[in-house]
Amino acid sequence: MPRFYIDTDDGVFPVRDDVGHEFASVEAARNMAQRALPDMARQKLPDGERRTFTASIRDENGTVLYVATLSLVGEWMVPRSTA
Amino acid sequence: MSNPLIMKLEYGARLTDADRDILQDLSSRTRRIPPHQDITSESERPENVHLVMEGFACRYKLLPNGKRQIMAYLVPGDFCDLHVAILGEMDHSIGTPWGCTAVEIPRATIDDLTAHHPRITRALWWATLADEGTLREWLVNMGQREADKQMAHFFCEMLVRLQIVGCANADSFNFPISQTDLADTLGISGVHVNRVLQELRAKGLIAWKSKRLHIPDVGRLKAFAEFDPKYLHLTMRENGNSRAEPRLS
Repeated sequence: MPRFYIDTDDGVFPVRDDVGHEFASVEAARNMAQRALPDMARQKLPDGERRTFTASIRDENGTVLYVATLSLVGEWMVPRSTA
Repeated sequence: MSNPLIMKLEYGARLTDADRDILQDLSSRTRRIPPHQDITSESERPENVHLVMEGFACRYKLLPNGKRQIMAYLVPGDFCDLHVAILGEMDHSIGTPWGCTAVEIPRATIDDLTAHHPRITRALWWATLADEGTLREWLVNMGQREADKQMAHFFCEMLVRLQIVGCANADSFNFPISQTDLADTLGISGVHVNRVLQELRAKGLIAWKSKRLHIPDVGRLKAFAEFDPKYLHLTMRENGNSRAEPRLS
């Protein structure tokens, strides 16, 4: 089974996967990468109106095959007093 | 005295030497269970009660989609299935991905204990209630604590539970579980487990090498995890003896 490495970043703490996991296919690795994003978003609430979470898949040669991004974007629809 | 069952049950009742002899005898015939084997599977109706004496086992459930949830860890001194005599069938499985040493105790022996040995009965009852307290705490962790605190809390719990049965020193213990096991325990993805572990390491809260978990500053990890061990019920009530004793008022 091929080994893939899933690197993640929540904008504050980038983590490089040095160990990797064996997956039946690159699609299985993609599912794993996607599943990590809601976990990461749940852990780190945004300190402003924006935060971007990414999970990317590398193969054993170091080629990046896939990047999944989850963006949180908040926007006020009414004027806010800056009191 | 290093029998984990006795060490544990001392917290649940004031045992006498006779009680200790009975418990020692009960737990003397151990059997090695190899890794990746179930001790009891879901829907079985087991005839014997199992007691862990060395290593780890866990309660888990497999979902139709193949996902697994681990609901509890069983450490030395823990009964796996004390109430099989009452319950019709197992609603979950008990297994050991890591291998452990266990004792099989016939149901009739447990019936005899509870019929004739009030202090042991009390201690078994206490152990069951402490298990329920632990499950409640896990539910709170799962629902309300972020993954880093949830994981830190789990490590604190393991340290305390292993310490009371003499299987951990002041700041470290053998911990053979994998990151996948940890993911299925905390209900998060394996990728996120790796992230959280790296974060706890970067903060200097834990070191996990060669299947041994080391906690450099136990007080700091407990504070980070908001860990309060009262749910383990390790402090006995003043009138905690099953024998009729005059109460001090």
